[in-house]
Amino acid sequence: MSYELTIEPTGQVIEVEDGQTILDAALRAGVYLPHACGHGLCATCKVQVVDGEVDHGEASSFALMDFEREEDQCLTCCATLESDITIEADIEEDPDSENLVVQDFSGVISRMEDLTPTIKGIWIKLDDVNPMHFQAGQYVNVNFSNGIGSRAFSIASAPLHANEIELNIRIVPGGQATTYVHEKMRVGDELTFSGPYGRFFVKKSAQVPVVFMAGGSGLSSPRSMILDLLNEGFELPITLIYGQRSQEELYYHDEFLALAKQYSNFHYVPTLSDEPEVSSWQGEKGYVHEAAKRHFNNDFRDHKAYLCGPPLMIDASITALMQGRLFERDIYMEKFISAADAQQVRSPLFKSI
Amino acid sequence: MDMKVKQKKLNKKEKYTVQTRDLGWEPTYQSKDKIFPYVEYEGIKIHDWDKWEDPFRLSMDSYWKYQAEKERKYYAILDSFAQTNGHLNLTSARYLSAIKIFQQAITPGEYAAHKGFARAGREFPGAGTQVACQMQSIDEIRHAQTQVHGVSNYNKYYNGFHDFTQQRDRIWYTSLARSFFDDATSAGPFEFMIAIGFSFEYVLTNLLFVPFMSGAAYNGDIASVTFGFSAQSDEARHMTLGLECIKFMLEQDPDNLPIVQGWIDKWFWRGIRLLSLVGSMMDYMLPKKVMSWKEAWQIYGVENGGALFNDLARYGIRPPKGWEDADKAMDHVSHQLMLGLHQWNFGTSFHTDVPTEEEMDWLSAKYPDTFDKYYRPRWNFMKEQAEKGKPFKNMGLPKLCQVCQSPGLYTEPDDPTMLCHRETVFENEKYQFCSDHCMDIFNNEPEKYVQAYLPMNQLFQAPLYGDLNAWMDWVSLRDGVDNGDYELSEDKKNFDKWRNDVKSNSVD
Repeated sequence: MSYELTIEPTGQVIEVEDGQTILDAALRAGVYLPHACGHGLCATCKVQVVDGEVDHGEASSFALMDFEREEDQCLTCCATLESDITIEADIEEDPDSENLVVQDFSGVISRMEDLTPTIKGIWIKLDDVNPMHFQAGQYVNVNFSNGIGSRAFSIASAPLHANEIELNIRIVPGGQATTYVHEKMRVGDELTFSGPYGRFFVKKSAQVPVVFMAGGSGLSSPRSMILDLLNEGFELPITLIYGQRSQEELYYHDEFLALAKQYSNFHYVPTLSDEPEVSSWQGEKGYVHEAAKRHFNNDFRDHKAYLCGPPLMIDASITALMQGRLFERDIYMEKFISAADAQQVRSPLFKSI
Repeated sequence: MDMKVKQKKLNKKEKYTVQTRDLGWEPTYQSKDKIFPYVEYEGIKIHDWDKWEDPFRLSMDSYWKYQAEKERKYYAILDSFAQTNGHLNLTSARYLSAIKIFQQAITPGEYAAHKGFARAGREFPGAGTQVACQMQSIDEIRHAQTQVHGVSNYNKYYNGFHDFTQQRDRIWYTSLARSFFDDATSAGPFEFMIAIGFSFEYVLTNLLFVPFMSGAAYNGDIASVTFGFSAQSDEARHMTLGLECIKFMLEQDPDNLPIVQGWIDKWFWRGIRLLSLVGSMMDYMLPKKVMSWKEAWQIYGVENGGALFNDLARYGIRPPKGWEDADKAMDHVSHQLMLGLHQWNFGTSFHTDVPTEEEMDWLSAKYPDTFDKYYRPRWNFMKEQAEKGKPFKNMGLPKLCQVCQSPGLYTEPDDPTMLCHRETVFENEKYQFCSDHCMDIFNNEPEKYVQAYLPMNQLFQAPLYGDLNAWMDWVSLRDGVDNGDYELSEDKKNFDKWRNDVKSNSVD
């Protein structure tokens, strides 16, 4: 049996399995909570329980003192749930979060298009009475029948069109859900999904120039964010460094070229890593982080950067940004932490990247 | 209709800011340069102290509450340990050699760290930094005190504990730790933070504390285990402070990178040299062994340290220069140092022994590439000599490394049969080193290290003039009581007798 955990001050709600610790559940749901030793000795992960009951587990009596137990504090690395609970953790409230409530939606496939040989665009028309409000950059969990379960996809369209959302789905070899989308899904099919999820959205309140670094099938969130910013009249520079292997994979290239013409504050830098020697391509060659370094002359100071793409691209981009003097507090990405990541030996140097 | 607006609840960070912001007032009748005179001379450039994130937001009020309860619990356990003759539950009194070394070498280090953080808290501008340093300063003196109190139970029954404060300065093997802390506390505030907050508390602390505490648990030393729990809940805060400081320096100005890299190189090497003592303790002094020093290095050094240096690489930091040599040395250091301690055990305030056959088999399993080849034959030789009534004692004095102050007993990184010696001349004086890395540290600041106090050299100076008996008095060693082999010691005789008394009714 599972319980519901509400994490204040952000208000996120996640499910916690029987016997699962708060920390484990939070990390697996992509919510970073401060922690260090992982076994109840160091007290780094201490939080206040505002409502509900926990079992303190193996928490050391030197790390969680008696007076703290009486004040309903607990160590998330050891505590398991005895009821639905609410905790108040040492995480910061985000002024740019609209804290939208997750809901269930249903819709109909209104359009499908092959964007590249491996990526399909699908458009889902929503019930007019119940459109979905979301923040650009967020994702939905789409339900598939036949025991496939649900899969997460970032929304590729702008929030402006709340009654129709666009998803760009790459076929994963052997992947049940993506194979279904590519081979069986047809216009007119009905679909249910839940959302919006995720805390990957533009920190508009910071009022600084933004850089997007996207690659592979990671274009969805950045595209939604860029369309949203331009639509809102964001006046500071917006730069998109967008990488694919070859021209045929460079989907939405023409749209971005047109946007760059239309908006003087939007800079578009496409780059190809594996374009043949003989080709009509006149633009940048190489990886995203290399193109970014050249474009910004290795100086990213006073920006905010949003990264989306394959893990190796993200990793190389973080390093390039930091060497160009943009640090953790200004770098954002969607984090999907797998069980394997939670097991990995990580240093406590960084928290959000 | 007018309504009362619900006051928004402050999150922890905002609460902390509100509670501490008044500490960071703008001075009016003195300039900031005059108030914080030492914050610039190391070359570290800071442009914005407000970018310092308070890594551990703890108010003084809850800090006191917290530490007070820890003390109550610790002393309650210590009392019951004393009342129930807890010392007789040790695996063997031989284990106490490890505790003696800890008390003589590491406990004074905690006290030095206390002084260092008190100073750092005064010298850093920025309220967050000041508060964090102040708390760590109080933690460190608490650790020193609780360690002394924990050990005092053993001092009632066993030898070698009686004069650790004097021995900290005068005996030879403790100078590994003393010189480390002397070096750190006489450095500038930023270097001090790298030395203690970063190198010692993060990179090396697990290598020190985990083996020590597990060793205590495995060998029935509840007093030290309890101390370990009580201290570990502070260590997370210390570690976070060290890491925050290094991030802060690296993010504030690109010119800070080479300075910080130099300190990381230096303090990693100084730390790993100091921890050789822990290596010998783990491999040789624990009657019930936990894991080998090399295994501890694999887990806490290679795995955890490696993860950290992967992350630091994003700032352009590379792993410490001495990392590879340290890694190579892991197959050798604990054996080489222990052989040294044993052949000079007339000058140690703890007991040593030739390992038993069973222990040698354990060592050979843990060090399959080196123990049987290089070290078992030497131990066997020592054993044969002792059995012939001619125990091997080295009456010569080794050259001491001018930087880490270890006796020159380590070997070349790539040749375990060749002693590693380095020598340099500065202002017509010769100086000796144990390694390239210690020599590099010297060459970088020779004016600092020529002042190093090397206690062993005092043997030849007034008022000792080379008189070994006078030296023993000077270092508070009672010959035949505090020193020598455990097998022949009063500690062993007493422990065996008291243990026997517990389970028999003899009336002798």
